[in-house]
Amino acid sequence: MMTNKNRIKRFTPVQRLFHVLLMLSFMVLGASGLSRLYINTGWGKWLAGLFGGYESALLVHTYTGIFLITGFFVHILYLMAKINPKTIIGPDSLLPRGEDIKQFFSHIGWFLGFRESPRFDRWGYWEKFDYWAVFWGMVIIGITGLIMAYPLVATRYMPGWGLNVALWVHRIEAFLAMAHVFIIHFFIAHLRRHNFPMDRAMFEGSTDLEAVRSEKPAWIDRLKKQGDYENLLVRESQPQQKAIFFVFGYIMVAIGLFLIAGALVNWQRVIW
Amino acid sequence: MKRRNNTFTLIISILLLSGGFLLFPAKRFAQEEAASKIMRYKQYEVSTGYYEEYEAKPGKQLPFVEIPGVRHGLFPYSPAAASVRNPSRLADAHQGIRFYDRRRCEDCHIEQTKNIHITRANLTCRQCHGGEPIASSEHYFSPMNPIRRHAYVCSKCHEGASASYAGYVIHAPNPFSASTLKSFPVLFYAAWIMVAIAVLTFVVFLPHTILWGLRELLLKK
Ligand code: HEC
Ligand code: HEC
Ligand code: HEC
Repeated sequence: MMTNKNRIKRFTPVQRLFHVLLMLSFMVLGASGLSRLYINTGWGKWLAGLFGGYESALLVHTYTGIFLITGFFVHILYLMAKINPKTIIGPDSLLPRGEDIKQFFSHIGWFLGFRESPRFDRWGYWEKFDYWAVFWGMVIIGITGLIMAYPLVATRYMPGWGLNVALWVHRIEAFLAMAHVFIIHFFIAHLRRHNFPMDRAMFEGSTDLEAVRSEKPAWIDRLKKQGDYENLLVRESQPQQKAIFFVFGYIMVAIGLFLIAGALVNWQRVIW
Repeated sequence: MKRRNNTFTLIISILLLSGGFLLFPAKRFAQEEAASKIMRYKQYEVSTGYYEEYEAKPGKQLPFVEIPGVRHGLFPYSPAAASVRNPSRLADAHQGIRFYDRRRCEDCHIEQTKNIHITRANLTCRQCHGGEPIASSEHYFSPMNPIRRHAYVCSKCHEGASASYAGYVIHAPNPFSASTLKSFPVLFYAAWIMVAIAVLTFVVFLPHTILWGLRELLLKK
């Protein structure tokens, strides 16, 4: 029976939609980008084949990139509409606070066993980092990507050697982003015991109450004090839905690991 | 129902906006003429029939006039200096080089083969440098002369290439090598700063995440 309200709401449908769109475009961008960078390896050729070859991989890459940038702007508009000056500074906000740095260190103290785990509120510092990393990444990779997608327009406003720089900044930032998402983000969301086999919060919109209580007790306490607690409790979704989340999540993990493994194995063979 | 509508509107607006972006035509600055040694972009002029020095014959040198990448001002070449072999201003860059005609470009210019145009786009050297004689890139009449490189070389393949676009460094150095610090400092710093950011992120988050995983593994539920 699933009549129990054993989950707590965490993300709205629109937020989850943003996340799914980001995921899908990130994967397409990662795969098509790597296929071009690794084109002189068998792995890269196979990958490029999925997109119809070296040249159409670029086409797919560019269009997906533009889609992602547009989504980014829509997200910023969404933020503008959503921002509440009252809660912009505080535990409900994703803006970093001094508290986060303290919690980071005490969290590490807990890993090493000489401290209690910090009582996280709604957003842990790692979640904030993930959120803002997308911002900084989007700015760096989006600008350099647009420069290379429209080099003739871009070189009206900058010298041609800027294209050389843009290419390298784009490459390094792409590796940073992929390594972070495919290793660290996936590990935190899937593999650590607290979330294993998968943290469905971003798909289902809610998290297991028990899990939140043990990891984010400050949030629960605050909600109870504010009297919002009861309103945020929801039921678990249907098993079929859960199966879909699960399969989708693991497909993404598999793709990510495949990309990062292929990139590492073939690293030596790339002709940059 | 309302909620579904929101979501739907969101997807549609993202699609429309990105579609609009793509339809927006990229401007072309085809064959933009760089026709003056002082002002290189007189593209709005009707031709006067008056030809600049480099378009006709290298004539007298104006001591204070500098043409970026072509001639340094203030110290014009004296007749004596002009007779010195200046490797980047020869009509035939390989003039007097022995056994030139029996060898391949990459036998002598291995560094110049390591770039996108050669390794990825599979271009041959001659598609840019042209047939014999291969002029130095800064010889007056060389198609590679920065004055006309965009029009004579790049726009063969890159439709609408402008003079600024042709400033792209074809034979790009390895951004991480120490010599790049001298030849292309911006690239050097940009690449290393990006690497530093990446390394920093991982130095912090990799051990952090591993420890976290171990800690939770050992935790009693
Ligand atoms: C035998 C060795 C050799 C071969 C083969 C050779 N080069 Fe060169 N090249 C040289 C040398 C040496 C110089 C420098 C000339 C000088 O210092 O006066 C030079 C100069 C040049 C320059 C002018 C450099 C400048 O500063 O603008 C270009 C362009 C060039 N080579 C292109 C080519 C191309 C393209 C090929 C193949 C068709 C080729 N070379 C084949 C030895 C060679
Ligand atoms: C896409 C066009 C293109 C191709 C292909 C190309 N070059 Fe160049 N090359 C240039 C340009 C542009 C310059 C001038 C660089 C400058 O002025 O800074 C140049 C400069 C050079 C120079 C002068 C030294 C230097 O590095 O600036 C040499 C030598 C040279 N090229 C050799 C070659 C050889 C050998 C090949 C074939 C493997 C080749 N190039 C292929 C565009 C090209
Ligand atoms: C013979 C055709 C040809 C000529 C001439 C040529 N290019 Fe290219 N260029 C290409 C091709 C093909 C690519 C695509 C390479 C790829 O995507 O791997 C390319 C790619 C580029 C890029 C994009 C590189 C990147 O980082 O993505 C730039 C910038 C560029 N060329 C500049 C120039 C300049 C400047 C010149 C003139 C000196 C020039 N090209 C001459 C064929 C040419």
